[in-house]
Order: sequence, then C-alpha cells, then structure tokens
Amino acid sequence: MVTQIQGDMFTREVIADPYAYYGKLRDHDPVHWNEAYELWVVTRYDDLVWLTRHHELFSSAVFRNDPRGPYPAIDESDLGLYEYVKNYQADQFIQHDRPEHLEMRRVLHSYFTPKSMESWRPFVQAAVKELLDAAEAKGEIDVMRDLATPLPVLVIAQMMGVPAEERPYVRELAEKLLYIGRGEGDRMKPLTEGMRGMIEYVEPMVERRLVDPGDDFISVLAHGEKKGVFTRHEVLVNASLLLLAGHETTINLICNGTLSFIRNPDQWALLKQDPAGLAKSATEECLRYDSPVKSIQRIASQDVEMRGKTLRKDDRVRWFISSANRDPDAFPHPEAFDITRHPNQHVAFGSGTHHCLGATLARVEGQEVFKALAERFPNLQAKTKDLEYQPSITFRSLKSLPVTWH
Amino acid sequence: MTETRKLRVRVDPQVCVGNAMCEAIAANTFRINDNRQSEAVNPDGDSIDNILEAAENCPVSAIVVEDAETGERLFP
Ligand code: HEM
Ligand code: SF4
Repeated sequence: MVTQIQGDMFTREVIADPYAYYGKLRDHDPVHWNEAYELWVVTRYDDLVWLTRHHELFSSAVFRNDPRGPYPAIDESDLGLYEYVKNYQADQFIQHDRPEHLEMRRVLHSYFTPKSMESWRPFVQAAVKELLDAAEAKGEIDVMRDLATPLPVLVIAQMMGVPAEERPYVRELAEKLLYIGRGEGDRMKPLTEGMRGMIEYVEPMVERRLVDPGDDFISVLAHGEKKGVFTRHEVLVNASLLLLAGHETTINLICNGTLSFIRNPDQWALLKQDPAGLAKSATEECLRYDSPVKSIQRIASQDVEMRGKTLRKDDRVRWFISSANRDPDAFPHPEAFDITRHPNQHVAFGSGTHHCLGATLARVEGQEVFKALAERFPNLQAKTKDLEYQPSITFRSLKSLPVTWH
Repeated sequence: MTETRKLRVRVDPQVCVGNAMCEAIAANTFRINDNRQSEAVNPDGDSIDNILEAAENCPVSAIVVEDAETGERLFP
C-alpha cells in the first residue's frame, strides 16, 4: 500500500508534532524523496547510524557542495546576504570532510575531552544556582528566556575567555546566530548581523592570544592558525561555531527536558526521589525522547543505494534524529519517557566522525539543571498548555516555556 | 620504565560511536572495522602515552586501558 505523505515539512502540524510525521515515514517509506524541498528524508535508526558512519559517501560540506538555494525560501532581496552566510558557514570545520575535517577537529579535540569537560562541572553548578536564585526571587520564570538561553552562553563565554562585563554583548550576538535554524523569510538580516558581529568581536581576541596565549579555546584556535591548520577566517567562524553549536542545542535540551518532566509526573516524582543518582540517565532519556536536534543534512558524494532507492551524487540527504530515537527496532516502548531506560544508545549527538564535540559538556549542563530543578522546585508546572515551536527543520525549539512552582 | 609494561586495551562496542579519533591518534593499536566501530587490534602497537591519549580523546569514553599483568585500571 502506498501511503500519501504530504510534502511540506514546515506546516504547523509537522512543527508541533514531528513524531507523527517522521514516524509515519519511518514506518512506511524510510528513505523518502521529498519533492517540495528536493531532498531525501532518512528516518530509521539503523540507516542513520550507517549513513553517518559512511562519511566518504555523504559529504558534510553542504554549503560548499549544494548548488540549490536555501529552504524554506528567503526574501529575494536577501539573496546577497545568503552568499555571505554560505561563505561563513562553509569555513566551519563541521562543514568539512576528511582529511581537512580530521586535521581541524584535532586542534580542538583535547580541549573538549570528557575528562576536561567534567572539570567544568563546578562552574556549571554555580551558574545554574545563580540563575535559579534569580528565578526564585521572581516567583515564576520562562525556562527558555531565564534559564536555558543564558546558561550555555555563560559557560561558552567563560571557555572563550570573555570578560564578565562583555557577556551581555556576546549573548546578544548568540541570540542573533540562532536564526540559522529558523524558517522566517527575513531571517538573513539578524543572522548576518550576528555573524559580522562575532567576527569583529573575536578578531582582536585572536590577535591578543597569538602573542599571549591563555587556557581558553580562542587560544587553542589561534594556535591552530599558527600551525597553519586554520586561516584567520576559519579561526573566527569556528569560534562562532562553538558559541552557536553549544547554544541552540543545549537550550532545547533544557526546555524540552523540563517539559517532558512536566508532562510525565510519574517520572518527575521518580527523579525527585534521587536527583543526584538519576540525573545522568534522566538526561540521556531527555536527549532521546524529545531530541534537541531534529535533523542534519548531508550531500551525496556519489550514487548510493539505500533500501532499494538510488540516491544520486549531489542529492540532498537529511537524517532525522527525532524518528530514529523513537524507532521501535532500536528502543522498546519508544513512546514512553522512562528516565531509567537502559541501555539507551540514542543518536541525539549524531554518530561517526562528526559526533558532537560538545556532548560531554551538554550532558553536564543537562544533568546539573535537572538535578537542581528537582531539588529546588518540586512543584514545577507549566503556566500554559499553548506551547509553540520555532519553524525549524533542524531544531526542536520551544519559543517559550513559562512555569511556576506554587 | 613504563614502556615495557604490557597493556590490555578494549573498546566497548555498546558505547563506541565510530568517531575514529582513536585510530587517528594511535593507528597501530586501533582499527575501524566493517561496522565502522573501533577495535583494539594490537595493544603493543603504539607507545603507552599514545594509547592513553587516544583513550582520553574518545568523545564517549569507550576505551578501557589496563595493565595486562596487574589488572590495574589506567583509563578511565
Ligand atoms: C544537547 C546539546 C547538543 C546536541 C543535541 C548536539 C548535537 C550535535 C549533533 C547531532 C552533531 C552532529 C552534526 C553532524 O553530524 O553534522 C553535533 C556536532 C557538533 N557539536 Fe553538538 N550538540 C550539543 C551541544 C554541543 C555543545 C555544548 C557544543 C560546544 C561546546 C557542541 C559543539 C559541536 C561541534 C563543534 C560539532 C561539530 C563536530 C564535527 O563536525 O566534527 N555541541 N552536535
Ligand atoms: S574514539 Fe571512541 S568512539 Fe571514536 S572510534 Fe575510537 S573508541 Fe569509538
């Protein structure tokens, strides 16, 4: 039987509930050609793992290798800005293939090892405490605006070596960079402002770190320039990649995870019994159940067969974490939010050579947030049932999440 | 003195995400298999420092390194 699959992935329904739409694809047409956006939609867990681990077949240099325009479409008058965005994005190491990708990633890798990220836990704890103290004083908060958005920027800004008084400016830039994953037709303006602002802000930092290196990651990037691995432009855009990649994703882990607890009071009750003991597995389940990143794109480097379909060289291919993490072939009772789930080999951080560089940091942030919320706000409730998501195909991002605890 | 030490090196296939950083750092010890996961093929392939660096750089801590004689855990 052929199931009719509607082509628009940006409708209200699909944005509100990606699980129904991509789940239907996973069950009926796991390697699906979407005519409207001219791309392959890959939705099964096994296929996602296979695809991400065959980086020689699927290029990550999407901006450089995709001859087609942006989707959803942008305002025609902004096509010039899009060229700027394309060149900016193309220089980030996430948008490179081997051998350059490996060389670039190695520069940063030792900074982000699980062990060194673990050493940031006390800083994260203090930042969470500060934000929750302010929340408590107010009596109610928007989890998105008051907790999820500031926390990752505080952490990354500290890792960059941004002085405290300049943090609000970096936060402003970070919020403009979030437009990369949105669907609004006029998103190019704030996005390019954020990108230009980052370049101007970081450049003098790099100059200083070249002569006087510190233990921040701008110094690590500057060292990469000294060794000839990065050009100056690459140093600057990769600094902004780290700011953005650690921001737009972690905010969703915090908000989506908090909402999962609000909607599953039995699991909230369980976490409250042992916040410190369950924070780890609870964070993994939040990552699986309502994954911060919904999908990522590649470009086929050659003709590839998948489940009887032929993907042609240069075709767009998008793999969907949201459906893979609820694949019944990979997870028993995939629709259940179960914070004791074990094993839990979700693919929220991707897989293969591009597996998330910040995974340990994101985990530490999630664990500390859920633990602190359970300890301090046992009566957490949503203030409204009308929650809206950003019109993005990449991020599962709430617009706001107002809560109370009285 | 530690260079004569014999190591036992394991990669946990339940954890390894095929990031291949270990192979880039200690190419004689780790090999990416057909599943695109790492296998420790030769615990004497590289220097102990190199093997420990690979283990430390695994983004998901899938690599376990022990002293083959005493069983002492060297990583994680
Ligand atoms: C819950 C939070 C996060 C999620 C769900 C997430 C998800 C992902 C995913 C799915 C990828 C794979 C992209 C691809 O294959 O093309 C990725 C890559 C990456 N992430 Fe994260 N991420 C998170 C947090 C962070 C943080 C905190 C940082 C930085 C400090 C970070 C930095 C990166 C970088 C630099 C890459 C590129 C790695 C490469 O291309 O080799 N991420 N992330
Ligand atoms: S570095 Fe870790 S995750 Fe990557 S291939 Fe080696 S063992 Fe697997």
